[in-house]
Amino acid sequence: METRPYFVLGDLLANLVVGGVIGGLSAILFGPGWNMWLAMFVGMALGMALALPAAFGFVALFGAMEVMLPVMTTGMVAGMLVAMGAAEGPIALGAGALLGGKAGIGVLVAVYLANAVIKRRAPKWTS
Amino acid sequence: MDLVTKAKWDRAARTFDVMAGRGPEQRWEPYKREFFSHIGSGRVLFLAIGTGLDIRFFPPHRKLVGIDISDKMLEMARPRIEAYDGEIEARVIDVHDMPFEDDEFDQVFTSCTFCSVPEPVKGLQALRRVLKPGGELRMFEHTGSHYYPFRWMMNLMTPLSRRVGPEMNRETVANVEAAGFTMREVKHVFLDVVKTIHATA
Repeated sequence: METRPYFVLGDLLANLVVGGVIGGLSAILFGPGWNMWLAMFVGMALGMALALPAAFGFVALFGAMEVMLPVMTTGMVAGMLVAMGAAEGPIALGAGALLGGKAGIGVLVAVYLANAVIKRRAPKWTS
Repeated sequence: MDLVTKAKWDRAARTFDVMAGRGPEQRWEPYKREFFSHIGSGRVLFLAIGTGLDIRFFPPHRKLVGIDISDKMLEMARPRIEAYDGEIEARVIDVHDMPFEDDEFDQVFTSCTFCSVPEPVKGLQALRRVLKPGGELRMFEHTGSHYYPFRWMMNLMTPLSRRVGPEMNRETVANVEAAGFTMREVKHVFLDVVKTIHATA
């Protein structure tokens, strides 16, 4: 598990910013007029697509796959959650950004845990 | 020589260090330092030396042949090659068309290379040809993942990423075995995506 403060804080920053921005954008783009399932799929796809170029800026500073994969997952989850919520009832920009940021932290914690588990399985060769 | 691949990496050479030189290299530093500590005193081939970012991890006083398909990459690597406290013979060579004798090398090292070699199994077979029987192949590579949602994302990213650089979903461990190597050890560095591979010819 990554313990160096520069990279841990960098991971946190990247996922908070990307989650917050995509959550905020999703709060603007989606609303009660949307079918919830359609909003979920469009939010996921849009969130992931927007997270990719955002990830590149953080990659140069904090790491390659270690940044790109969590940030894209954050984009996907933040887009999905806020789009679904907005389809149920209006979400303010700030509330969307907050929910997206929380999604980013949740994703990062999940990736750190998954990394710890998968690294222990190294002898079982994969890809 | 594969001119399409060469042109892609010639284009990437100028900005390569901006993307890879700080974050990724610093993050992987402890792993790469351990990985390259295995460079021995025999005849060693380093495939895809690139801009020479990895040279700082080499133990001193070693003799290596470093090859790359891109002469622009090697131009960028030149100061790092000259600063190395050992010997690096740098040459522009395509892995698919290596002029080396059979069984010429004791070890082959690669670092984030087989995400980009267009025909990975053939490239690995070429490395096996130039390795002595029992010679070591040591790789630091990123590959595809077996886990959702990463596998799915990397499959989606690959059609885009291969235009400007690497493929994200390579099955490199399986390719090493398909090329006839005997697998010794695979260690995961990040998820099942970034890893070191140790195999013998």
